[in-house]
Amino acid sequence: MEWVRERQGHVITAAVIALLVVVLVATGEKESLVIGVITGASYGLVALGLVLIYKSSGVFNFAQGEFGTVAVYTLYLLHFHVPYGVAILGALVAAVTMGVLVERLIVRPLFDAPRVTVLVATAGVALLAIGVEIWFGEATARPVGRAFPTLDRVTVLGVQVSDQRLLLLGVLVVLAALLALFFNKTNLGLAILGASQEPTATELMGISVKRLSTIIWAMAALLGGLAGVLAVPEGQSFAPGVLTTAFLIPGFTAAVLGGMTSLPGAFLGGIIVGVVEAVATSAPVFDDLPGSPGTLLVFVVLLVVLVARPQGLLGKAG
Amino acid sequence: MAIDTRSEGAAGDTGEAAAPGATRFRPSPLGILARAVVWAAVAWLVLVFPLGREGFEVQRYSQAVIYGIIGLSLNVLLGYVGQISLGHQAFVGIGAFASAYIVTEQNLSFWMGVAAGVAVGGLQALVLGGVSLRVTGLYFALVTLSYGLVAERNIFQIEELTGGGQGLAAPKPSGFETDWRYYYLCIGFLALVLWVDWRMMRTKSGRALLALRENPRVASTFGVNVKLLTLFAFVVSGAFAGLGGALLAFNDTFVSPETWDFRLALIFVIMTVVGGLRSRAGVVIGSAFFALIGYLLDKFSILQDGLNAIPGAPNLSREIAPLVIGPILLLLTLTLYPGGIGQQIRPVVGWLRGRRFDLRDRGPKEVQISDVRA
Repeated sequence: MEWVRERQGHVITAAVIALLVVVLVATGEKESLVIGVITGASYGLVALGLVLIYKSSGVFNFAQGEFGTVAVYTLYLLHFHVPYGVAILGALVAAVTMGVLVERLIVRPLFDAPRVTVLVATAGVALLAIGVEIWFGEATARPVGRAFPTLDRVTVLGVQVSDQRLLLLGVLVVLAALLALFFNKTNLGLAILGASQEPTATELMGISVKRLSTIIWAMAALLGGLAGVLAVPEGQSFAPGVLTTAFLIPGFTAAVLGGMTSLPGAFLGGIIVGVVEAVATSAPVFDDLPGSPGTLLVFVVLLVVLVARPQGLLGKAG
Repeated sequence: MAIDTRSEGAAGDTGEAAAPGATRFRPSPLGILARAVVWAAVAWLVLVFPLGREGFEVQRYSQAVIYGIIGLSLNVLLGYVGQISLGHQAFVGIGAFASAYIVTEQNLSFWMGVAAGVAVGGLQALVLGGVSLRVTGLYFALVTLSYGLVAERNIFQIEELTGGGQGLAAPKPSGFETDWRYYYLCIGFLALVLWVDWRMMRTKSGRALLALRENPRVASTFGVNVKLLTLFAFVVSGAFAGLGGALLAFNDTFVSPETWDFRLALIFVIMTVVGGLRSRAGVVIGSAFFALIGYLLDKFSILQDGLNAIPGAPNLSREIAPLVIGPILLLLTLTLYPGGIGQQIRPVVGWLRGRRFDLRDRGPKEVQISDVRA
């Protein structure tokens, strides 16, 4: 029993995943499983950025989605002129620039302010970004091409998986592993963890907490930008604020589900939220719900997690 | 954080920390006259000025007044208990639909419609708060944001209640058909909300609310039921928002599901914070300003010209203006002037109340949105 109690999170996670798989296979919703994992991967990517910032500075970053939208806009503007790969690089540079600017101009002056103040500020940044996007780009959908055109190289459980989506999935797995290594093995990663737990002690060790904050926001913006340029082109069009409206809430739900501080948790949470949403959209049981059942079910998942297990699946209690 | 005993003054109540023994300042007869003139000017601007205006302009003024109510609704939550709602457009929108539904589909009176808006607004806050106020701070913000999205994509899509894409009609009540009569009705409701808010903060529970925002642990050791009071504030906030929604519906004579997206919720938060938390006058001025931004841009072409001078920038239309100007003002307020408009107008308000004009009167130092409570 001791063994189970220590690994409660892992046991519950395994049970949830097994339950989802069994139910979906039994009800013939296998396709949702595949579609869910794929959409969930992009939620996971957004969630990774959210967790990164929460871990280091205890802030819920509502501008995380806009890092991605800014990247997509840059990609859209650049790929008329330069090859796709270069355009993606430019898009990521734009996202990181925005991240550093947000940290320098807004987060740093609010260094000692209550965290809810910073939350309001990041929400303001998101709204400003959306406002500027509409101002300069109008509220219309714009086309954006995929990195790889092939749509049907791989077929899993009767669902064609495009190369774009394989790329997204691959990037997510690699990033989650790299970030886990970064936080456990490198000096910089350990310094960031230290700063999040004991900023004063970290300063006394001769580490500049403020500089770490800049690095973290740049990294999170990079993750947000990656989520944007990898996930959005699959739909081949985008509108202002696309990542905030479509990805931010599921991303947050994924992060909370994973425990808000756990990087693998964010990854798993993303996948679970994606599957739940896919099931809600396709299963006939939910046909009678008004509007989009996916949104409703994601909200229910969020509430259930917060009420029943606030520390999330893989988070530490207390 | 030190408990600032003067923070009650920040609620705009007394703010007068007269030291014992000091003689109370009395304005000279000339001073009283000057104050009376300014009071009269304010009253003229609010009560007489709209009379000579065209209908659609008066409609904008009514909207500004209603935004004042919505701002006060958020102020209860954000200013008094330090919880943030990023889904307030859902509360306002559901209030609007409920009242329009009562009037158009059930053929009941306008007053029943308004009552329904208030009741539904309070009720949904009770239900949502009852489930989710176990979590506070950042997590509560997330729950409300998610709830706003659910309202937008699910609740407002119920065709029986919201009329689907066509929306619901909401005819102005009899006796208040003209725009300026309706404007006075809105002013009346704003006065009512201000009065309720003022009386509420003067009760024992009101003081307990302020205490629990400063420090919930200390408050609870003094016998304050933190959870119950937070829920109470949330319900009051929801009821005010429902009232605002109902008035908004009849002002536009129409409610459409598309109006209520999450950008509106952020505008609501921004106008409250820029207005200045815990300052009733500041919140109303800030909210009215955000309701009127687009109108002001149209009215004063010099503002428009200034914005057009930015190279490469297209025309800033009245719909987008709040989205661009609002966040900039918010970020400036948060980083430079956390007390917002309420803090800036404090010397003037103090003077109008018969005190000395004191530029150094900045109110309590620690005007903050909330404690760390995540």
